Amino acid sequence: MIKELKPLSSLAALLGLLTASGLVLAVYYNPWHAFASLGFIEREVNEGWLVQAYHATGTTLLFGLAYLFLFRAMLARGYRAPDDLAWALGVKLLAVLLLAGWLGFVLTGGAAAYWALVRAANGALALSGAAGAIGMWFFGGPAGEGTLARLALFHAVLGVAALAVLAAAYRRLKPKMSPGVCLDHLARFAVLALIFSVLAFFFPHLGQPAVNALPGDPLTLPLGTALPWYLLPLAGIADALPGAWGGIIGVVGAVAVLAALPWLDGSGPEAVRSRWYGVLTWVWGLDVIALGITATARDCPQASLLLALFALWYFFHFLVLVPLVTAMEAK
Amino acid sequence: MAETAATEASGPGTESRRGFLTIFTGAAATVAAGSIVWPLLDALNPDAPSEAQARMIVNVADIPENTAKTVQWDGLPIYIRKLTAQQIAAAQAVVTGTLPDPADFAARVNPAYPDYVVVVGLNTGITCALEGNSPADPRGDYDGWLCPCDGSQYDVLGRVRSGPATRNLVIPRFTFINAAQIRLG
Amino acid sequence: MMRRFFAPLLALGLVLAGNAQAQDTLSPLHFQSDGPLGGIDKAAAQRGFLVYQTVCAACHAASALHYRDLEALGLTSDQAAGVAAGVKLADGSAATLDSPFKAPAMPASAFGGAVPPDLSSIAAQRPGGAQYIYALLTGYTTAPDGVTMLPGHFYNKAFPGGQVAMPPVLRDNAVTYADGTPATQSQEAADVAEFLTWAADPNLGTRHQIGLRAVIFFTLLSIVAIAARRGGGG
Ligand code: HEC
Repeated sequence: MIKELKPLSSLAALLGLLTASGLVLAVYYNPWHAFASLGFIEREVNEGWLVQAYHATGTTLLFGLAYLFLFRAMLARGYRAPDDLAWALGVKLLAVLLLAGWLGFVLTGGAAAYWALVRAANGALALSGAAGAIGMWFFGGPAGEGTLARLALFHAVLGVAALAVLAAAYRRLKPKMSPGVCLDHLARFAVLALIFSVLAFFFPHLGQPAVNALPGDPLTLPLGTALPWYLLPLAGIADALPGAWGGIIGVVGAVAVLAALPWLDGSGPEAVRSRWYGVLTWVWGLDVIALGITATARDCPQASLLLALFALWYFFHFLVLVPLVTAMEAK
Repeated sequence: MAETAATEASGPGTESRRGFLTIFTGAAATVAAGSIVWPLLDALNPDAPSEAQARMIVNVADIPENTAKTVQWDGLPIYIRKLTAQQIAAAQAVVTGTLPDPADFAARVNPAYPDYVVVVGLNTGITCALEGNSPADPRGDYDGWLCPCDGSQYDVLGRVRSGPATRNLVIPRFTFINAAQIRLG
Repeated sequence: MMRRFFAPLLALGLVLAGNAQAQDTLSPLHFQSDGPLGGIDKAAAQRGFLVYQTVCAACHAASALHYRDLEALGLTSDQAAGVAAGVKLADGSAATLDSPFKAPAMPASAFGGAVPPDLSSIAAQRPGGAQYIYALLTGYTTAPDGVTMLPGHFYNKAFPGGQVAMPPVLRDNAVTYADGTPATQSQEAADVAEFLTWAADPNLGTRHQIGLRAVIFFTLLSIVAIAARRGGGG
């Protein structure tokens, strides 16, 4: 049990940092002049550039850790009882973080962010029926003045939701505190802070599309608009499927299969470690990375074929390979 | 390193070393936490434009002689007046002892820049913006400012000369940056 | 009148400024701001400001910058105020420390649809940053055979597409440097590139300095904390 707690404390620390820096950013952020207000924070607010770096680098590390922990749990098959509840909370947290991360990126108002917003809003508004109505409610009409004001609110609400999921996980796991555990946490935080310092001070824009340094402009669509690194694999899956519905089904499906993993694994709780399962999971990990890389090269002619292949493999892994391999092993 | 620590774990010297390490780590962690939190707090201090507004810079080089310029600062109208040579001479010649609120020339202007008078342009009796900034305005008998509300009169240095007001005009905090600019606050 | 009064002050300000030392940045071309631990070369950036002020500001705005920001380049408050006082704004009044950099007098329509971009963050907004700006400013050549020039455009080998609406504006001795550095065209280009690098990321030097300290500190803390944990048997 204590195993799950260690990642939890790092996640909690990062989420705390994001909340604190987000509150400070909210003091100066102006959704009607988003890009300019971030420039203001960077240039005119005391230590504003550092607060911004906290928020950006905190996000990068949070997603890095969340992905790593989920992958490690997958490898160790930590999604089965007795850890199935922890796994469910982990996937829930990931879902909340992904949406919050997308919103946070869009809030920057840079060129890449602006076009990500326009694409999503136009897609959502083109839907018919209830989905279209929800899209209309969420974006408040086509992307324009004031859209970012509501998205800033949703972003903050999702931040609180992430804290709530984490609090629920803490309650489940009921961590015990002792000097040993404290020192252990301290060592983790120190290493985390070290990585954080390297990224925040020397690579402050790591994983952000470079064109986001330009202000969003309805009249120019610069080359190389993309999403930040932590959204790329999901964006690849969304791009692989046609139309707005394809995108939605792709994104929801990609997270849903993760949540369904405990049921897709056909072996009993006492099954031994399986070599095939491990190999397949590593291949899946590479597939996710390949999805992300291909998503940045969307303008290449081969990209759509590759994306389709990689996305297919993603679902094939969960829906066919995992049940098959684990069921074979159960016999 | 780990091995040494493990083998020595029962030795007598280990307790104090471990204690030292723990205290040292704790202290360093406190410093770290403090320096991580500090920027978040400092960011809520006034930003550069607010700071600049609180210490506003005003150009005075473009004020014609015998005229005053008004700027809004800290919610107050600040009058900056450029005196003529005769006005300076006349103001210096006034016998301060006879004034309702005695103050000599040096107390009202910066001796290095004697031709600029900087005052809060509000009557010290009933609060009311004073007239007299432009040479065409009514200025009262002392060539300074006149209160349109209660008729109090001030001279060119902002000293009250006839009531009902009894105190001189307030001088805001300011410094000359150079001959052309002053900084309020 | 005021301008004549302050012109010497401006030059003086740029001489006296801080302990900024003029260094050779041209052979080979390098920018002190480059690299993971780079910081702004204040002497070069001050010279670059002079180039910006005398040449580029005629067409380009840099509206995110204020004259007070020059203090970060090593000018004293008085010197920066002197620089500001020498600038006549559109309404006829002189700029102050808190004014944003003066907007260009040249109408944006003067270049047939190509608007001179605001230079505040240009070094961050173009791939290659300072190197690109230097290459752009020194990259004017005669068009290769077979290239038909668009009207009002100049051939520039650094500009994507080769045809830029900005005329070649730098020439030898376009400015006079107060620190005695010869104002060759390439020196001016390198200096203004360093200035624009600072403008786009005024916190660059601080960021790297604090970063270095933070990395050293947390490396030590990690080692000690891991040692303490092992020692504590945890
Ligand atoms: C005569 C007016 C004029 C002057 C002076 C001028 N520029 Fe420009 N500049 C322009 C115009 C017009 C453009 C737009 C070019 C285009 O898009 O084709 C431009 C574009 C640029 C660009 C952007 C190029 C790109 O990649 O899009 C940079 C950087 C630049 N100028 C730097 C400078 C610097 C530095 C100076 C001072 C040394 C300067 N300019 C002086 C008119 C001027």
